[in-house]
Amino acid sequence: MKESEQTMLEIRNLHATVGGKAILKGLDLTVNAGEVHAIMGPNGAGKSTLGYVLAGREGYEVTAGEVLFKGRNLLELEPEERACEGVFLAFQYPVEIPGVNNTYFLRAALNAQRKHRGEPELDSMQFLKLVREKLEILHISDDLMHRAVNEGFSGGEKKRNEIFQMAMLEPALAVLDETDSGLDIDALRLVADGVNRQRSPERAMIVVTHYQRLLEHIVPDFVHVLADGKIVASGDAELALKLEEQGYTWLEQGGIKPLAGANPA
Amino acid sequence: MNTPAPANLADRWSDALAALQPASGPAWLQALRQSAAGHFRSSGLPHRKVEAWKYTPLRVLDDLALATDAAQGEAGRAIAMPAPLCDRAAIVDILDGVPAWSAAAIPDGVTLMSLAEGIGHFEERLRPMFEAIELDGPSRAFAALNTALAQQGLLVHVAAGREAGRLLLRWVSLPGTAAVMKQFRLFVLLDHGARLDLVEQYQSMAAVTGGLNVLCQAELGDGAVFGHVRVQAESDQEVLLTSTMLEQAADSSYVYRGFDLGASLARHEITVRLAGPGATADIAGAFVLDGKRHLDNHVSVEHLAAGCRSEQFFRGVLGGRSRGVFNGRALIQPGADGSIVRQSNANLLLSPLAEMDTKPELEIYADEVEASHGATVGQLDEAAIFYLRSRGLDEAAARRMLTTAFCHAVTDRVSGRGLAERIAELLDAAMPTDTDV
Repeated sequence: MKESEQTMLEIRNLHATVGGKAILKGLDLTVNAGEVHAIMGPNGAGKSTLGYVLAGREGYEVTAGEVLFKGRNLLELEPEERACEGVFLAFQYPVEIPGVNNTYFLRAALNAQRKHRGEPELDSMQFLKLVREKLEILHISDDLMHRAVNEGFSGGEKKRNEIFQMAMLEPALAVLDETDSGLDIDALRLVADGVNRQRSPERAMIVVTHYQRLLEHIVPDFVHVLADGKIVASGDAELALKLEEQGYTWLEQGGIKPLAGANPA
Repeated sequence: MNTPAPANLADRWSDALAALQPASGPAWLQALRQSAAGHFRSSGLPHRKVEAWKYTPLRVLDDLALATDAAQGEAGRAIAMPAPLCDRAAIVDILDGVPAWSAAAIPDGVTLMSLAEGIGHFEERLRPMFEAIELDGPSRAFAALNTALAQQGLLVHVAAGREAGRLLLRWVSLPGTAAVMKQFRLFVLLDHGARLDLVEQYQSMAAVTGGLNVLCQAELGDGAVFGHVRVQAESDQEVLLTSTMLEQAADSSYVYRGFDLGASLARHEITVRLAGPGATADIAGAFVLDGKRHLDNHVSVEHLAAGCRSEQFFRGVLGGRSRGVFNGRALIQPGADGSIVRQSNANLLLSPLAEMDTKPELEIYADEVEASHGATVGQLDEAAIFYLRSRGLDEAAARRMLTTAFCHAVTDRVSGRGLAERIAELLDAAMPTDTDV
């Protein structure tokens, strides 16, 4: 396979500000199809900002650098175009939308994406069949489908709903922002299991997390450490364990050097 | 006589009143009509300094004349009628203010009569209801006009313990008729334990310039249940003034679901007296405004007995240069202990030039009352818009989904799935398509 075909995401020298404050300060990252990359880092390092910049949230201003998604300039696309092209952000805090039924919302979203790709829209029978298939694969009950989007959902239900949306929308690139936050161990296992079932040679994932424990369940191919708006270290799953043992302070004291060649560029 | 018509609308209407007043009916009614006309002549129309009408200017009425019944309607003319809003309903069509129905469709235990027949048949019950209406002062101008002039009307009576099912009133204004302010009187009498679902559909199929002033009085006996759905999708030239007054006995229940989706000016007043212990009033409404349209919801609920419960729940979406008014009052009188009262009014402004005036009022003179009230005027949640866009919906679709959802909090409270769905469709279709002014 030629490199240009398998490179999913290429971030070069990305600088971004939020409310005039510089958060990302020259971030480089290359992610290929089929890979799972974990991005770890202390609070305030810019982890969530990276997710929002990739998804195109207003107020997250890119001041330098570029982001290529399947070879295309991602930053010039509207959020919905990015979604239709295959970028999915699983939110750290999924938004509650009272009055919008989860099933209705997801069908509208899926059909918007299908329309964008020139595929026929799914009628409600076809859609519900797909819903049932995906629910079964993820071992999720259908009670979430009858409720308003995230409204009154527990933390675990919200995260499960994100993973379910991902399964329905089948993105090429999924960014999971602190998907483990606020989950007890059972909920974490369920969500991680849902993510693992969606690993595929065609799909890339970026798993953003503060803690190593998620990575016991979603074992990444690569681990990157984000500190002060830059990737300061990259390695394999072992790096996450090391961070868990020794903490981020040790890292900031220069105890670890960026591993040359670990970032699969 | 060649006297020029007075420039002032109230004067013009006052001049017209004498010639228009019906000379039929019992003597007490004739006297009441005279008295009502007198009140109108001396008080005139409400204006900016009348508190209850402060935010609702009446300039749009300027082009309307008062009319006799003769000028109302051309019965029998073939016109396009809107599809009935609900199934399995007995239908009364009210074309240009003249009611007509098929007697065969009316279920047992239910009596439908024209106003004149009703007055003849239920005189002893209707007389105090007629006389209970306050007529004095400019804020009561439309009640006075209605009392003075209304010859057209409908009486619905449901006998004790009877289940009337659904009754659909389909109000249609005919195109091509004169621009007049029509008067209509509606009486709903529910004897103890009686149940009625009344659905009012105000929907003209063509652009019509005209006005309708409907005064409805309902009397709910012990344990009676009155479900009232009112949907108005009038054309942009129409004025709709509706007023519903309820007197509720013990353990009776009133459930109102109102949807204002059209008209250049619409004002709906709901005045409820929870007179018997355990009576409840559950009042919810949604409205959608665009262009320069104006909507005014005035709700007043009085708790007079112990253990009564009331809720006022209104949602509004305003685009363009539209203006909305909500005035919700709950008055808990001494002795109405253990009352529960909730008020909520939330509004979405989609345009910087739209305006919403909201005023929840709570007055409590009783003990152990559970009360809550709140009013908000705001914009769409940007975080929610982004969430929807991040899943592939474009911005317009995301905004539309959120604004309709905002109002679906009220459609979801409509009982009857088919009816709720049809209202939701009308509501979605009425949503402002953009935020332009």
